[in-house]
Amino acid sequence: MSADSGQIKAWAESHVDADPQAILEIAVQNFPKLALSFSGAEDVVLVDMLSKIDPNFSVFCLDTGRLAPQTYAFLERVREHYHVELDILFPDNAAVEQLVKTKGLFSFYQDGHQECCAIRKVEPLRRKLQQLDAWITGQRQDQSANTRAALPVMQEDGLFSTASQRLIKFNPLSHWTSAQVWQYIRDNDVPYNELHEQGFISIGCEPCTRAVLPNQAEREGRWWWEEAAHKECGLHASHHGIKPR
Amino acid sequence: MARHITFVKKIKADGELCAKCQQVSQQLESAGLLAKIDRIVIADERDPETEGMRLAAQHSVTYAPFFIVREDDGQERIYTIYLKFLKEVLQQTVSKEAENRAISQDLDFL
Repeated sequence: MSADSGQIKAWAESHVDADPQAILEIAVQNFPKLALSFSGAEDVVLVDMLSKIDPNFSVFCLDTGRLAPQTYAFLERVREHYHVELDILFPDNAAVEQLVKTKGLFSFYQDGHQECCAIRKVEPLRRKLQQLDAWITGQRQDQSANTRAALPVMQEDGLFSTASQRLIKFNPLSHWTSAQVWQYIRDNDVPYNELHEQGFISIGCEPCTRAVLPNQAEREGRWWWEEAAHKECGLHASHHGIKPR
Repeated sequence: MARHITFVKKIKADGELCAKCQQVSQQLESAGLLAKIDRIVIADERDPETEGMRLAAQHSVTYAPFFIVREDDGQERIYTIYLKFLKEVLQQTVSKEAENRAISQDLDFL
């Protein structure tokens, strides 16, 4: 089964404060070609929740080749803990070789992260999403007041849908705070990436992620050298009291 | 009913037009594509009542610029990635690499 745009919008509105598990139930019941995107960070709570709803759930990770050793170790722990088959996606090796050959291993510090991310993340992700009707992410509104304040619990994926393939994106943790995520991790003995014990919150590739100080926004730990340019594109609707409908 | 395209541009809290919006406007103009845009609407961060801010809230959009494309059958599609809009709506040639680079800006959760 699938659902049209109106149905997705209606579900999103009626589940705006629903438990993440209720959102996951809708995803599992309505989208047979469904997979969870697991980054190796706090979104592990979704692995835990989904494993209790659907033992045959599908989960994939992007191995960019530049993850931290702790993240690789964590992925393996998750695989063993949940007895789940992690679908590890790799970038196109010819594209990576060409990038490294012409620009070296750290071109993102000069040229920005987009070129490297396009090869190591977006292309394999796009390949995977072409096989799906819907995917699940760990995105949350509190991750960025700049760009994520209006993130709904589910939506038609504007980035990866095409004229011939409509893709739905579920964001079950949309309205959860980081504190709620960690409460769940503690209450349910969920394994977590040991980088969190060293001040890392958002965890991506090793050269592009750093620990943050207390009360620093978590996104300040990612691509920090190009922070100013990032903020430019955000639309600060929520700062003015507009609530997404 | 014909296809209808709305281009939403942002005015920042300091009163300046956002650089990305300006760049996209110039690119559309120099490519001779501005005529294909039916309406240009402003989202002024200083005024939540501006039409662009209301449209952003209505469609849960948190990036600017963005495009709203209403098809013949009334279905609406939102584009926050300019190159994707260029390729899919205005039928322009866009390399997959360029499109992937543009998409990467929204993948900081992976």
